Amino acid sequence: MTNKPEARAQTIVLVEDEQAMADEVKGELESKGYLVRLASIAEAADAARVGDAAMMIMDRIVFGEDSLVMLEALRKEGVKVPVLVISALSSVDEKVKGLKAGGDDYLTKPFAMVELTARVEAMLRRLDDIRTTKLRVGDLEMDLIEKSVHRAGVKIELLPREFRLLEYFLRHPGRVITRAMLLQEVWQYHFSLETNVVDVHISNLRKKIDTKGMPSLIVNIRGAGFMLNANA
Amino acid sequence: MLEFLRSSAVRVALVFVLVTTLATTAVFVLVYLQIGDANEKRNRLILETEAAKSVNRPVEQLRTAFDVRLTNDLRRIDYAALFNADHKFMFGNIDELPAIPIDGKSHFVGATRVPGSDNRIEPAIFVARQRPDGNIMLLGRSLLETLAFRRIVQRALLAALLPMLLLALATGAYFARRSSRRLTIIHDAIARIMKGDTDLRLPIGSGRDPIDKISRDVNLMLDEIVRLLVQLKGVGDNIAHDLRSPLAVVHAQLERGLESSNDEQLRTIVKQALSHIDKAMLAVAALLRLADVEYSPKSRNFRQIDLSAICADLFEFYEPLAESKSIRMTLESHSPVLILGDGDLMREAVSNLIGNAIKFTPEHGSVSISVIQEDGVPVVRVRDSGIGVEPAERDKIFQRFYRTSSGHRVPGSGLGLSIAAAIANLHEFDLRFSENNPGAVFEMVGRKR
Repeated sequence: MTNKPEARAQTIVLVEDEQAMADEVKGELESKGYLVRLASIAEAADAARVGDAAMMIMDRIVFGEDSLVMLEALRKEGVKVPVLVISALSSVDEKVKGLKAGGDDYLTKPFAMVELTARVEAMLRRLDDIRTTKLRVGDLEMDLIEKSVHRAGVKIELLPREFRLLEYFLRHPGRVITRAMLLQEVWQYHFSLETNVVDVHISNLRKKIDTKGMPSLIVNIRGAGFMLNANA
Repeated sequence: MLEFLRSSAVRVALVFVLVTTLATTAVFVLVYLQIGDANEKRNRLILETEAAKSVNRPVEQLRTAFDVRLTNDLRRIDYAALFNADHKFMFGNIDELPAIPIDGKSHFVGATRVPGSDNRIEPAIFVARQRPDGNIMLLGRSLLETLAFRRIVQRALLAALLPMLLLALATGAYFARRSSRRLTIIHDAIARIMKGDTDLRLPIGSGRDPIDKISRDVNLMLDEIVRLLVQLKGVGDNIAHDLRSPLAVVHAQLERGLESSNDEQLRTIVKQALSHIDKAMLAVAALLRLADVEYSPKSRNFRQIDLSAICADLFEFYEPLAESKSIRMTLESHSPVLILGDGDLMREAVSNLIGNAIKFTPEHGSVSISVIQEDGVPVVRVRDSGIGVEPAERDKIFQRFYRTSSGHRVPGSGLGLSIAAAIANLHEFDLRFSENNPGAVFEMVGRKR
């Protein structure tokens, strides 16, 4: 679960008016090796414009002001910095609004810190491999055009949903992936579940892609979610 | 019908009929007695005056006068006769002195033989008076006419009483029905309000009668109750709102503590604390989610969505979970079932129902989902063969945080059904429960327009 700090520390601009919350987010992200700068809405906008921020985490309402207005303005100016919107407003409507305004992801309070860091890491990685046609981890290979998966040269038959699930893992190797992220990204479900159905999907996928006697490619991360073992 | 007869309105109507009948009868009886009485009094007076006037007349004059009187009497004296001091008949049209005191006062004689008839008997009043010559003069008046009159009044009373009784009954029944129908409507409205339709109010007519007045008062009371409920819910939501950040912070701090400590004992405690905080966060998140759904304006950005597609998607999503419990899951949907709605919300609601069904169904059970148009309304039905719901708990399962006594062993926030119900309501659907023997059926049924 501990990720080595990146060679060049990335700066994350944090817009949050609740001090305790800001401290925790800052502490958590700094422990993961990021530089975190607390900023007001205006300061954050400036940092984004000059390219000072690898990404931004914004509370939806900061001191009574809707930060989406600033985000929309930034996007109009063509500023592409990844933005994670944090909000007390949990309705799907608000999520849609947040994403429409240019947010890349939307997290509803209260959330666990692992959820936040997992999303931050996924977002900072996201830009890298959009154009790839083949994804590979160890001897597992996925062809995105042919929609086929091979492990050590042996073809593995996957259902469409299993394929998408595996694709998401392959796009984020070595990263913590939470159940909520999988629900949102693989199934497009924007609500929380009270059943362990995601775990069942994962274990079904494992049965298909794992080789007997070898440790599983997808490991459980206690209290957080799952991770694709990048060194397999 | 029996209930109708037992209703207070009917009792009031019956009392009304009884009182009306009694009052009318009393009036008739009074009229009857008054008329008879006045007539008789007048007759008595005439007889007595006449007797007093004629008492000093010579006998011969009396004889002529009797003749004239009896044939052409303007004052209607029916009987006139003279008897000697020994009560022996002298002349006149009645040959026997009735057994009355000879005192110049009128007396009633029940049976008098009508002169010139064969034993015809009639009631009459007589005055007997001693003349100065010792003879006794007898004057009388038949009461036949008075009796006949009384009989006419009697008949009129009887003839009038029956239609009047019927009329009173009909009027009573009409009002009883009217008020009982209104009471039924009010009863139904109250039943619906108690089931949670808090926007509903009692119907108020145009009138100013007591039922309208009370209905108006009840409506005011309901407004106040709803206001308090909203306030109460607001307080709860605010608490949930304020708990979010501290919970998230504590969670984060514990997580950090867990990472930095090697003290196994401490780590165990922290892990337990974290799992409890997770539960609290789950509840807070669900509560806020519920508030979000409940307060969201209706049909905000509703689009045409296909319930069949949503269910097929969720079916595929949940199938592995069902399989892992060896539960047979089936989906029945033949054609698209289109409604105006929010796909994400509907997906959440149906997901809650299916998740619950699988959660509460033991291994080797079955869960079936059907999406159909039934009686012209869209229906999503989730049927399971699980533990069902105890009869005593059926009213409570849609309440916030309510978990069935058996459900306590299964993790969850207890808000899933509340959220599903709120989402259904937002889409003008009703979430209903019924028994599946064994198991439960939860269905979302579109309301008829």
